[in-house]
Amino acid sequence: MDTGPPSYLVLLGVKAEKLKGHLDLLLLSVLSRGPGHGYEVITRLKVRSDGAFQLPEGTVYPALHRLEGAGLLASGWDVVAGRRRRIYHLTMAGEAALAEQAAQWQEFSGSMTRVLGAAVGPALATAGGMA
Amino acid sequence: MSGGTSDAPTDLIEDYLDRLLVSLSGSPRQVRHTLAEVEAHLRDAEAEGIAAGLPEETAQVQALERIGPVHAVTGRPAGLVRPSAALLRRLTLTAALIGGAGFVAIGGAGLVGRLLQVLKGNLFMTTPFPPGTYTQADCARWLAGDPGTRSCVTAMLADHAFDYLLQATACGLLGLAGLAAYLFLRRRWSDRATATALPAGAAEGLGAILAGIAAVACFGQVVDLETVQRGIGVGEPLSLGIAAAVAAGAFAFALWHRLRTVRMRTT
Repeated sequence: MDTGPPSYLVLLGVKAEKLKGHLDLLLLSVLSRGPGHGYEVITRLKVRSDGAFQLPEGTVYPALHRLEGAGLLASGWDVVAGRRRRIYHLTMAGEAALAEQAAQWQEFSGSMTRVLGAAVGPALATAGGMA
Repeated sequence: MSGGTSDAPTDLIEDYLDRLLVSLSGSPRQVRHTLAEVEAHLRDAEAEGIAAGLPEETAQVQALERIGPVHAVTGRPAGLVRPSAALLRRLTLTAALIGGAGFVAIGGAGLVGRLLQVLKGNLFMTTPFPPGTYTQADCARWLAGDPGTRSCVTAMLADHAFDYLLQATACGLLGLAGLAAYLFLRRRWSDRATATALPAGAAEGLGAILAGIAAVACFGQVVDLETVQRGIGVGEPLSLGIAAAVAAGAFAFALWHRLRTVRMRTT
């Protein structure tokens, strides 16, 4: 039974349920800009979302491990700033998965925008008029 | 920075990593890698806090708040975390201690039983089978084992009492082997993760409860036999009850000692 969204979906300013299932896409997207370790991935995620995505940072690791297990990421160890770190990078399969998921998301969000645009426009105008 | 002070008692990150270690499952390599990864993450976050002007402890608290609870890193709800290797080791130690001590207690019951047999005789020790439930061949076998008597019932009682003492002795030897295994494994698994996988005194507390229940059950049977059978066959449950009560007392003392040691260490 699905009792609610996982904790990693509790994102600041965004209702968790709406983002369910999109962490993988976010991580693949962040790593498509270049390899990085866990802390770096989280930092990039925050920066690229203008601080909107504040998630319990620990939840990124099981997601990274799952993506690696699925062959979408690969990792290796390196010493960065004096600390031994696991650096993740996208595999060919990861790039393909990112392209596919990004396309699906854009199609979905485009449809949502079109539907909402039609309904929200008059509503906003009404709200503006009342104010 | 406190990255190198692995044994510092106030290092909150070390405590978090200890909890993470005992909660992680997977191959030893996966566990090591995740632990190293998360430690690097926490030290980065701590360094970021310190660079922003926070005191070390506050920076650690902030780093831990940001990473979230241990089950967030393991990827499973806290209630569904599979037993870690450390927990399995600790459970094995607990089973060896309680099982070993329990079997030794049964061996002790055999000694008490032998004393009662000498003092009160076989009829006090064990209950004879009701007439009609055994054959002539059974009688012949019991009489062959006790050539000094011509009574089938007397020979039967001697045989039953002997069996009880023999089985108790075997249990005692098995218990000693269990305790030897416990001591061997405890020395082998002396790491902190194993020691903290269960609360301090868990094995002693469980042992005291189980032995206490066994003692109550045995003494209840003694009362029942004393009332219904006028003391016939009381010896077996009485000896087991005495041994179980002694074991419960020993476990309770060990529990008190363990908790007192822990309290003294923390104050």
